[in-house]
Amino acid sequence: MFQDESSSVTSSPLQVFSMMSLSPNLGSPYPWLRELKSEERGLYLIHLLLTCANHVATGSLENANIALEQISQLASPDGDTMQRMAAYFTEALADRILKAWPGLHKALNSTRITLVSEEVLVGKLFFEMFPFLKVAFVLTNQAIIEAMEGEKMVHIIDLNAAEPAQWIALIQALSARPEGPPHLRITGIHQQKEVLDQMAYRLTEEAEKLDIPFQFNPIVSKLENLDIEQLRVKTGEALAISSVLQLHSLLASDDELLRKKSLLASKNLNGIHLQRSLQMNQSTLGELLEKDVVNGYSPSPDSGSSSPLSSTSSVKVDSFLNALWGLSPKLMVVTEQDSNHNGSTLMERLLESLYSYAALFDCLESTVSRASLERLKVEKMLFGEEIKNIIACEGAERKERHEKLEKWIQRLDLASFGNVPLSYYGMLQARRLLQGYNCDGYKMKEENGCVVICWQDRPLFSISAWRCRK
Amino acid sequence: MSGDAFSMPASRGGFVQDQNNANPNPKANPNPVKKKRNLPGTPDPDAEVIALSPKTLMATNRFICEICNKGFQRDQNLQLHRRGHNLPWKLRQRTNKEVRKKVYICPEKTCVHHDPSRALGDLTGIKKHYSRKHGEKKWKCEKCSKKYAVQSDWKAHSKTCGTREYKCDCGTLFSRKDSFITHRAFCDALAEESARLTSVAATNLNFRNDTVNLPHGFAGRGVQDVAGISQLGSGFGQDFTGMPAAGLPEIVQMASGNLFGSSSLTNFDNHGHFPGFDKSGATSTNANLSLSPLPQGLKEEGGSKGNLMESLSSLYSETQNKQPKPAAPMSATALLQKAAQMGSTRSNPSFFGNSFGVMSSSSSHTVSLSSTQDRNDQLHQVYPNHVKEQETFMASSSVSMSTDAGLGSSNFNSVASATSNNLEQLMLQTGAKHSNPSQLKMHHPGSNSIDQSLTRDFLGMSNDQSARPFLPQDLAKFASIGSTMGLSQFTSNH
Repeated sequence: MFQDESSSVTSSPLQVFSMMSLSPNLGSPYPWLRELKSEERGLYLIHLLLTCANHVATGSLENANIALEQISQLASPDGDTMQRMAAYFTEALADRILKAWPGLHKALNSTRITLVSEEVLVGKLFFEMFPFLKVAFVLTNQAIIEAMEGEKMVHIIDLNAAEPAQWIALIQALSARPEGPPHLRITGIHQQKEVLDQMAYRLTEEAEKLDIPFQFNPIVSKLENLDIEQLRVKTGEALAISSVLQLHSLLASDDELLRKKSLLASKNLNGIHLQRSLQMNQSTLGELLEKDVVNGYSPSPDSGSSSPLSSTSSVKVDSFLNALWGLSPKLMVVTEQDSNHNGSTLMERLLESLYSYAALFDCLESTVSRASLERLKVEKMLFGEEIKNIIACEGAERKERHEKLEKWIQRLDLASFGNVPLSYYGMLQARRLLQGYNCDGYKMKEENGCVVICWQDRPLFSISAWRCRK
Repeated sequence: MSGDAFSMPASRGGFVQDQNNANPNPKANPNPVKKKRNLPGTPDPDAEVIALSPKTLMATNRFICEICNKGFQRDQNLQLHRRGHNLPWKLRQRTNKEVRKKVYICPEKTCVHHDPSRALGDLTGIKKHYSRKHGEKKWKCEKCSKKYAVQSDWKAHSKTCGTREYKCDCGTLFSRKDSFITHRAFCDALAEESARLTSVAATNLNFRNDTVNLPHGFAGRGVQDVAGISQLGSGFGQDFTGMPAAGLPEIVQMASGNLFGSSSLTNFDNHGHFPGFDKSGATSTNANLSLSPLPQGLKEEGGSKGNLMESLSSLYSETQNKQPKPAAPMSATALLQKAAQMGSTRSNPSFFGNSFGVMSSSSSHTVSLSSTQDRNDQLHQVYPNHVKEQETFMASSSVSMSTDAGLGSSNFNSVASATSNNLEQLMLQTGAKHSNPSQLKMHHPGSNSIDQSLTRDFLGMSNDQSARPFLPQDLAKFASIGSTMGLSQFTSNH
């Protein structure tokens, strides 16, 4: 299509162009040209992506289709960073467009198989290829050790018990305590029983090796359906909660429905909003909406960090946090993505996620080979799925509602948690760990006692510690 | 079990005899004597085999004073106690000169010692055996969860509990020698592996510096890394052991080395090398040396491409005051920032066509553009403050990319600080009128005049009068940028 139109160009640009229209990965006899092309191509891809998203946002699907077509010529899941990103972003945009035809969308996705083993593998890959989880674990463990000094009975609740390494490290650290190890109980929550079984096996093995009295309680449950009673927190034991990338999914809610309800309710029930914070039982969302009042919410294109904490999507997470507060934990360590992917408009989310995932893809580009299958898996099955969720989904379906650290601080503060600065010692260990990664792109900075891990200057993950404030 | 020597003094021999006779629940069945050796667990063939009931074995304080109901384990103690009540008492002596040796069997049928040929030699021994093996463990160690049925066992353990015997280099503690040895063998393997990988990774890093063809370097390294990572992932657990311990720096360095397969030696803090990584010590210093000039090295590579890369990297270092990003290939982050820059500084019109320049307005959002889509007018309206630059820009026809440079340093700074804003503004410009993006409307584009212009011009497919096929011309610009190093004009006008 492109080559038909002639212009007054010399032969070399056509050569450039023809190289472009072919697979971008072909080796070129002119490396500098290839590099150059890569940058131009990257910029072009960005532009195309933005245009396409704009068309999708305005509903001009034909234009969006054309843009998608053009992008598909250039994007590739095994090209350079921008090409890979473009591949996943366009897939997300296409998915979003397709949702306008629900029947079609369902039909295309009906035969999808998601293997638990693959999900588990991708989780492991994320843990190993990036330092983020390791830093989070180091900081969490150190915070727990310090909070539990002198405690004889320690109970830890892991809101997503997928990676045994964290607790193995903690068990080892606790066994080396000068006053001897405490009696340790770990309650792990996960949706797949196999994962919990594996975790139980590894942890019990480690505890037996070190002669530590240990008990692992598995709970197979979705976080939003968690029954607090199941956690069996006993009196007299010191409780610590570890939440790694879990809270943001609780922000998902049916925004449209809530908006309508809020408009109705805000007229009458101004003072009753306190009821929300007192409710501890896990009623369904619908029930909560009946009783609750959410503050008036007007959709604005600029729901970034400057706007006050919008409470429409916070019903679930608030009641969850309240329930956790009710357990009187001595410590809660929260690790979350530090990006605003919860904007109310598509374009906001697209822009923000372009930056965040560019950073993440850059991490991989700088540390792992392009030919690596593991890298491909992480990009596709982890980041690709997150991007798809951020871009293509709305309402209760959109679970990847990452928010900036300051919003989480506000939210946790509202739920009567008090911030505990992370220990200097823990941060030292974390910094050493990052240095050991041998990639100077990873940076760590401290903000008000919380730690933010960045790639170059882009903040990616935040870790903060909290106590129960009475 | 009868190896535990609980020898009773001979003076108690008769006492034992009395015990048996005074037994409130006698079940003494002298069995026929078997011929066996007098080894532990193998009784004297002449000995009298006594089978006591479980109740008898577990009983303590069988001798009760009838006055005050105080219990005693031995009859002699009871007799002495009876003296205090002024009751008749009698301390029995050993009646027989020759006492027939007694051996005891365990009443539990499944037990080895139930067989008379494996009877145990003394009463206390059989009692303890019965408690340990077949009894309930009532005594629990405070420090660990170990439980004991016999109090003396429990006391003995409590004294030694918590005193660890073996400690591995990686910091793990073991109470048993066998598990320690097993671990240490495994652990040494890990240490070697990480040292080997360190040296390989270091050499790959050198390789990376030397060549332009990054994929190759990555490929080699990537394989190592992934292999190393998957192996060492399991070793991760060890890494935290020493954290609270005194040997922290070494262990953490080792740990962080284990985590990624390349040692922390290549960090720029120059912590020096560690004993565990002697093999890679030499290469690591090399890596250190070659890595530190990495940013400059990559910059220099740009020299081979002409001024292009150099101009790019210098552009970034000047405009953004950040660490110089690797110029080839550009990271996605850098590309985005550049796109945002270009968006804000209108260097794009020649690059991406008419409308991109329109899209990249940083000032007016709601400019309604005339349908004539005259290039000059658009830009003029959109950038009222930068008339001068526009003119220069327009004058330099289609190949010029100089606007970025032409804006002057003040704009650089504002651009630098607001790259993401620019990109956002770029899109806000395009999406300014749309507050309900989630609803996919099927309406024809054209509700927004800006949008109209954008879509039309960019994709070259709507009813723009000056509709021109986008791609070939702009591809010409593409190419001209490459071939004539048009991007050098970035800095040339600077």
